[in-house]
Amino acid sequence: MSKYAIETKNLKIYYADNEIIKGINLKIPENTIFALMGPSGCGKSTLLRAFNRLLELNKDARIEGEVLIFGKNIYADDVNPISIRREIGMVFQYPNPFPHLAIYDNVAIGLKLNHLVRNKEEMDKRVRWALEKSSLWDEVKDRLREYPASLSGGQKQRLVIARALALKPKILLMDEPTANIDPLGTKNIEKLLFELKRDYTIILVTHEPAQAARISDYVGFLYLGKLIEVGLTKDIFEKPKSELTEKYVTGVLV
Amino acid sequence: MSRYKTRKGKEVVFLVAMAILTFVGILPLFHIIVTVFTEGLPVIAERGFTFLTGTLSNGGIGPAIAGTFILMFLSSLIGLPVALLVGIYAYEYPNSLIGRWTKTLLQIMLEFPTILVGVFVMNIVAIPMGTYSGFAGAFALAVILMPYVAVYTQEAMRQIPFTYREASFGLGLSRIKIISRILVPLSKRGILTGVLIGMAKVAGETAPLLFTVGGLYQSYPTSITKPIGAIPLLIYTLIQSPSNADHAMAWGASLVLLLIFLLIFIPVRASLKEVRL
Repeated sequence: MSKYAIETKNLKIYYADNEIIKGINLKIPENTIFALMGPSGCGKSTLLRAFNRLLELNKDARIEGEVLIFGKNIYADDVNPISIRREIGMVFQYPNPFPHLAIYDNVAIGLKLNHLVRNKEEMDKRVRWALEKSSLWDEVKDRLREYPASLSGGQKQRLVIARALALKPKILLMDEPTANIDPLGTKNIEKLLFELKRDYTIILVTHEPAQAARISDYVGFLYLGKLIEVGLTKDIFEKPKSELTEKYVTGVLV
Repeated sequence: MSRYKTRKGKEVVFLVAMAILTFVGILPLFHIIVTVFTEGLPVIAERGFTFLTGTLSNGGIGPAIAGTFILMFLSSLIGLPVALLVGIYAYEYPNSLIGRWTKTLLQIMLEFPTILVGVFVMNIVAIPMGTYSGFAGAFALAVILMPYVAVYTQEAMRQIPFTYREASFGLGLSRIKIISRILVPLSKRGILTGVLIGMAKVAGETAPLLFTVGGLYQSYPTSITKPIGAIPLLIYTLIQSPSNADHAMAWGASLVLLLIFLLIFIPVRASLKEVRL
């Protein structure tokens, strides 16, 4: 049993004939926030979607190499992508609670359609637990039957986090979760991520070096499909080994 | 200053020209609606409720109205499930070979001459059954309804932002649950619009019924395997008669048909204005 939540072995990703991710070896320890930073278009989101096989929604994408989740290769022939996705929560760049479902149902839907709870009581408990965990409960407890349209951007994003947490994943993938959120909402979400890392391994994609510096334990710097440098956040920001990394964290390279 | 005035002048000329052309464009539509009301309303007013419930010899079009509603219901029953499945398929697998063929065929079916649909259904349903029937008519109308609803369904689902699709797959749901519980409900307004527009179209169709339903206006329909009437077909028959009384009946029937059509259409237009997602 590996101690790493995620491990990749010479991972390559192609869109049609273009190599987007060029052979990445990465080890992400459990219960940490691992920030994946890099300029737009460097392949961060693509790499992230390889970790829960969501990349397969795009028919042009092709993957080589291995991705191990807690030591198990998720691209092995006998693995069902649906069960992998159920174990790994995902939060997106654009806060996307389902607009046709009430706040309560947004959190409940994964459990309900996967038949993961036995009765209403258990469901109520789990929904409340997920909303408390994403520190949204106090704000929405009196309007669980309302639609998410009435929530602010930051609240919507925390609702999406609750939706993911309800399935009790071990890993949370976050694709620039604060890119479309106002500063106050961003602060709340960053605070939340800090609390969540006690129980979860969080992979945070960000194009903001400052965000990576604020909240992550480890950072990987991705540039043009290559992992330029990876290490403790402190080391990467204070004494980067690569000149490219230094340029990026100081804002010269964008 | 004078240049400003010339520009202003040009703008006024252009606006007036646009207004006139728009008016010319929609004039026929208003003419039809106004004529149908002015010619049809007196007929209905004179005969009152009998016009809506009575048989033809009693001066009413009751059996034709019943026939139209039965045909709308039956054709929806046959056509809608197929249409929804076809539309969902075309959305879900747009680049597969069958998906591409489906989309092309749907476009062709949309514009297909409806009289040929009538001939086709006469050959495969009416002739083997040995009689005109409500079923044959409903089948022909279903063939016309299907591509409309399928195309609307596919288009409505294509409007759903990709992020909702990703979100539902990210929850580890199966494709069938994602489609039935998330994507279809998300696009239900667009799908419903297609269903209603298809039904409104079917209510007004004449050509596909010519060789399939046979017509029944002296008594109410009792079985879908026997001939049945429909308002547009009755209008077509009455207009060909030399008698003024029959023409008056046709105007009254036209007004009833127009009202059915508008009753379906106006809510659709109203609902389309609401913001989606």
